[in-house]
Amino acid sequence: MKELDTNIRFTHKSLVEKSKAGDRNSQYKLYELYVDAMYNIGLRYLRIKEDAEDIVQESFVDAFRNLHTFKYESTFGAWLKRIVINKSINHLKVKRLALANMDDHDHHLTDEEETVAELPLALEKIKTGIQKLPLGYQQIINLYLLEGYDHIEIGEVLGITTSTSKSQYHRAKKKLVQIINAL
Amino acid sequence: MDSLEKYIKENKAFFNDQKADRAKLWENIEAELGHTQPKVIPLWKSPLFKIAASFLLLIGITGILGSIFLGNNAQEHQFASQELRDIDMHYQGLVSYQIQLVHKNEQLSETDKAEFLSFIDELDQEYEELRLEMQNNLDNERVLEAIVANYRKRIELIENLLRQLNESKLKDEEYGYTL
Repeated sequence: MKELDTNIRFTHKSLVEKSKAGDRNSQYKLYELYVDAMYNIGLRYLRIKEDAEDIVQESFVDAFRNLHTFKYESTFGAWLKRIVINKSINHLKVKRLALANMDDHDHHLTDEEETVAELPLALEKIKTGIQKLPLGYQQIINLYLLEGYDHIEIGEVLGITTSTSKSQYHRAKKKLVQIINAL
Repeated sequence: MDSLEKYIKENKAFFNDQKADRAKLWENIEAELGHTQPKVIPLWKSPLFKIAASFLLLIGITGILGSIFLGNNAQEHQFASQELRDIDMHYQGLVSYQIQLVHKNEQLSETDKAEFLSFIDELDQEYEELRLEMQNNLDNERVLEAIVANYRKRIELIENLLRQLNESKLKDEEYGYTL
């Protein structure tokens, strides 16, 4: 199992190594492999196409410039993804669309049924539901369910404690179910 | 994990369906990267360099030990050659500049130039002999003085020649005005 983990971490090693040395072709190949995934992540947080593009560009430039600091502690993809997520969240902070105000929505939540009525329901409905969530909830749902981050990682990205991440996620999910059921 | 979480995680691809404008983004990334310096791979990381460095260190240590054992004599010699280097630096520039002036002078015929420069060559030879003598560490002070005198002689010769040429030029010009 450990060996498998190592193999995964060293995915695209030769491309990464050549890119470290400044080989533009290898950099382009890495870019091609990850640009769409990174663009979707950026878009998920920023919602605006141009903002997402800016963040993706900046992230790739930063990644290639600082590639010498990448020591295969994770996959290259996960490393890059973290850069994109951090930049996106910071961008939102700068725009003052802060994570706060999550509590404002809490009074709408009740202790009623948490599960959605029918599964599988249209994925489009879930997507819309996530987009209708307040920003803070939306970020936590995205980070946990779509980026696959655990609460420790979410805590790092959002600058909150692990327990806050857990409780906010729980509330966010409740809210999501409520929205979906109302759609 | 509840069914909704599971359902979303299983269908992640659906949430990643947007396509980036690859060409446009890459163009900007490449332009931005172009401003950065090419990555420098530190020399000391090369194994070859390590061998070379060890070798140099060894030579250095041998050199230091050697100079300690050879004593002060060598040191004096070093000071003398340092002095000679300083003199050379100062005068060589002057001499070669003036020789250039002679070469460029249009009033002198090629044979005159060759004749004049042959004097300089003789002084060059004398200089070479003096320099060899310096290396043999014969009375340093006197040899150094002789070398300086040699340089001055060359400079003086050239200066005289150039002054004469300029004076005759002036005379010509004055003559022209009286007409």
